Amino acid sequence: MSDEQISALVDRMARSKGVDVSPDLIQEAVKRVMAVLSGESAPSVISSLKRLDPRSDYPIAQKRPDLVRTATGLKLEEINLDQVQAGKISFNDIKIRPETLEYQAQIAEAVGRPQLAGNIRRAAEMTRITDERLLEIYEALRPYRSTKKELLDIASELETQYQARACAAIVREAAEVYDKRGRLKSS
Amino acid sequence: MKITEDIVREVILEVLRDLAGNGGLGSSAGKASAPVEFKLIGPAKQGVDKNEVVIAIPPAFGTAMTSTIIGIPHQQVLREILAGIEEEGLKARIIKVNRTVDVAFMSHDAAKLSGSGIGIGVQSRGTAVIHQKDLKPLQNLELFSQSPLLDLATFRAMGRNAAKYAKGDSPRPVPVRNDPMARPRYQGLAALLYNKEVQYLNPDKPPEEVAVRL
Amino acid sequence: MSKRQKRFQVLAERPVNKDGFIKEWVEVGLVAMENPNDPKPGIRIQDGKVAELDGKKRPDFDMIDTWIADHCIDTSVAQEAMALDSLQFARMLVDINVPRSEIVRLSVGMTPAKILDVIKKLNVVEMMMAMQKMRPRRTPSNQAHVTNLKDHPVLLAADAAEAAFRGFSELETTVGVGRYAPMNALSILVGSQTGRPGVITQCAVEEALELSMGMRGLTAYAETVSVYGTDQVFVDGDDTPWSKAFLASAYASRGLKMRFTSGTGSEVQMGYAEGKSMLYLEIRCVMVAKGAGVQGLQNGSISCIGVPGAVPSGIRAVLGENVATVLMDLEVASGNDQTFTHSPIRNAARMLMQFLPGTDLIFSGYSSVPNYDNMFAGSTHDCDDYDDYLVLQRDLQIDGGCIPVKEEDVIMIRNKGARAIQAVFRDLGLPSVTDEEVEAVTYAHGSRDVPDRNTTEDLSSIDAFMKRGGNGLDVVRALAKNGFTDVAEAVLGILRQKITGDYLHTSAILEGNFDVLSAVNDPNDYKGPGTGYRLEGARWEILKDIPQAISPADI
Repeated sequence: MSDEQISALVDRMARSKGVDVSPDLIQEAVKRVMAVLSGESAPSVISSLKRLDPRSDYPIAQKRPDLVRTATGLKLEEINLDQVQAGKISFNDIKIRPETLEYQAQIAEAVGRPQLAGNIRRAAEMTRITDERLLEIYEALRPYRSTKKELLDIASELETQYQARACAAIVREAAEVYDKRGRLKSS
Repeated sequence: MKITEDIVREVILEVLRDLAGNGGLGSSAGKASAPVEFKLIGPAKQGVDKNEVVIAIPPAFGTAMTSTIIGIPHQQVLREILAGIEEEGLKARIIKVNRTVDVAFMSHDAAKLSGSGIGIGVQSRGTAVIHQKDLKPLQNLELFSQSPLLDLATFRAMGRNAAKYAKGDSPRPVPVRNDPMARPRYQGLAALLYNKEVQYLNPDKPPEEVAVRL
Repeated sequence: MSKRQKRFQVLAERPVNKDGFIKEWVEVGLVAMENPNDPKPGIRIQDGKVAELDGKKRPDFDMIDTWIADHCIDTSVAQEAMALDSLQFARMLVDINVPRSEIVRLSVGMTPAKILDVIKKLNVVEMMMAMQKMRPRRTPSNQAHVTNLKDHPVLLAADAAEAAFRGFSELETTVGVGRYAPMNALSILVGSQTGRPGVITQCAVEEALELSMGMRGLTAYAETVSVYGTDQVFVDGDDTPWSKAFLASAYASRGLKMRFTSGTGSEVQMGYAEGKSMLYLEIRCVMVAKGAGVQGLQNGSISCIGVPGAVPSGIRAVLGENVATVLMDLEVASGNDQTFTHSPIRNAARMLMQFLPGTDLIFSGYSSVPNYDNMFAGSTHDCDDYDDYLVLQRDLQIDGGCIPVKEEDVIMIRNKGARAIQAVFRDLGLPSVTDEEVEAVTYAHGSRDVPDRNTTEDLSSIDAFMKRGGNGLDVVRALAKNGFTDVAEAVLGILRQKITGDYLHTSAILEGNFDVLSAVNDPNDYKGPGTGYRLEGARWEILKDIPQAISPADI
């Protein structure tokens, strides 16, 4: 499907829902759809590809710019001042996407830093969560904020809604430990 | 850990002697002032009066410890804060928080119990926070972190500003003060005082409302 | 004494005797690194999991023990590492024939008590040798504080411009008044990119607010994400290892660099040291950070330095905690950032411990403003010490991360920073910045030399900016529209880092052209004389060229 086709489709769907959309919004939606489509098969593609080599591939910005897209599918070189001034870049364009974080995790692993790689992989999962929800979940993990059930529900949400398995594991662990050490919300 | 009050007192006195003898600290720190006369009213209740500010103090405040790190009597600290609140035409309630002496959590507890949603927390050494119930515990409206710089005028301004926040105003924050040499002089002592203060906590005891005679 | 000895009278007046000293008090943990109550090293692994840690069995683990056992310790080498004699391992640390990689392979399998046991074997010179070999990035660097008593945004922008121009890699601000945070972040972002493109900035405030500013592109990294060595103090800090680990990943998910913060003395300062030594508890913090997968840690006592500074061997313990950090293969931002003494001699001696071997960030940070304006309550060195610092670099041929500058250049760059923030404020509808303010901050020593602003108006306008979703891209547009094209390019350059994630790696800083320098592409390769980072060539020419030196050719 071409950009134009998707654009028309988004426009039609929006109208049918009674939503008034600006051309900007449509453009944004198209970018997102394209990003999702192009990213859909990415994890399996990445894992079957040769893993990145810190010596030849890092820093990615200089050595492998071909691998980098923004969250909305733009190339790194498209994020430039002319485009910004022309109003073609929105703040959502300046976000990292999970594939890029996976590359960085591979590099961290290759230089012997498994914990850093794990952190970056959890981060890759979190790119799918909105700023607001992410801050809420962090808040829920702070001491005395949640019951065990609330934490376990968040873990399920992370798994089912965001395919965030590594993050869910951390939250489940927290639920167990908080329970044992008395750091849950008193019900 | 087993620390008797005597050990604590001994160490504090020793440190004070050292410091005073070396021309370091003024001899005022920790000097005994008259204890504050508290009357226990009962468990602290959720306030409904929009015209109140709640002040939280730790258990040792005004009793086991009677003055701030620079020797201002706790009696006067409370008097100034209350006066500041009254100047703005508002009322104050005082609660003893028994579960923590962390000034952020104390003041947040006060804010949550306050009918206006505004609370003040003051530690025995003087460190203070103006808090609002909808903020996160470690956020604040105004933080007075350097206890050796807090004088009577600051405590009054603190009360006044808290009352203004309670009325929905946006007061000009009390001008921040800063003395880079407060830490080398006072931090060791502050740690001692804090460790003493902690001994009086009772994590399971809910906050109590008290009245003071000033 | 009725009659005083005159030498003693003079000594009593010396600055060092204004400092507070305390005798050790073992029961509450007012002791630096030698405490009989500290646990003995030991580990038992069962089915690949830690079943016993430093004499404690799993059912008795507190939250921190659990985190360290399950997320930090490399169980595949733990038996081998723990079987090594601590003295032998301590000697390996200072042996130029044992490469960094071999040390790290083993140290990540050790327990907190074992690391403590090793560090206790080192004197400060040996600790410096270990630091020289073990810091992750080959090139040392430095960080500066940029704050002022009035939270004056124009002064912040000018000060950030100067600090960046003087060579610091990172700038950190904080607030006098909490609600100023986004305005302070915005001001140093614009100022820093005026002074030198590629300098990254942060604003130290409450955790959730700090993250939300990063998400908006107003900051490029974070540091004040505090961890503690006992459960009670961790919880008093309103977090747990799990919430902090989650937060760490949240930063990375938005492409933001971050490190944790900890330091000796915080637990006893907050009343719950559980009777353990300061260094033992700090090593637990280092291992919490390692387990969370953050790339680095700021430590070296930090805001509690008055506590280890008051007890015997305390300043040695502070260097010891920096060494513990690099042993865990983490970036170290090594303190030196808070006043702890009235004595200039003590002050310089404490700083040399990190300055001489070099660390990833020697200060965290150096006060680029007069200490009366330093809202971290003062740093060990401030803007009035610049020339002493530059001469120390020149005397000892050490790269401390600062470059000599000319007065006319600094006037120019301060003025440009102030004008840039003036334009941004105008464009974003923030309260106007007058030409008088620009002039005042250009020539100011500190906030005493600049007029007060209407703080209420500043605060409500920055609240509104945040509410309407203002972000870093708005800043780029405002700069570009007002002719500050180079600064706009630089701010955009910072935002672009968040797309590639290259600077998420250990010890990453940015060079002037935005190229990342980290422990991945600039790993520390020290193996004794003739290896590792050497201050020489073009860089040495720049650092030794202080303006006040007389040239033989001129006479």
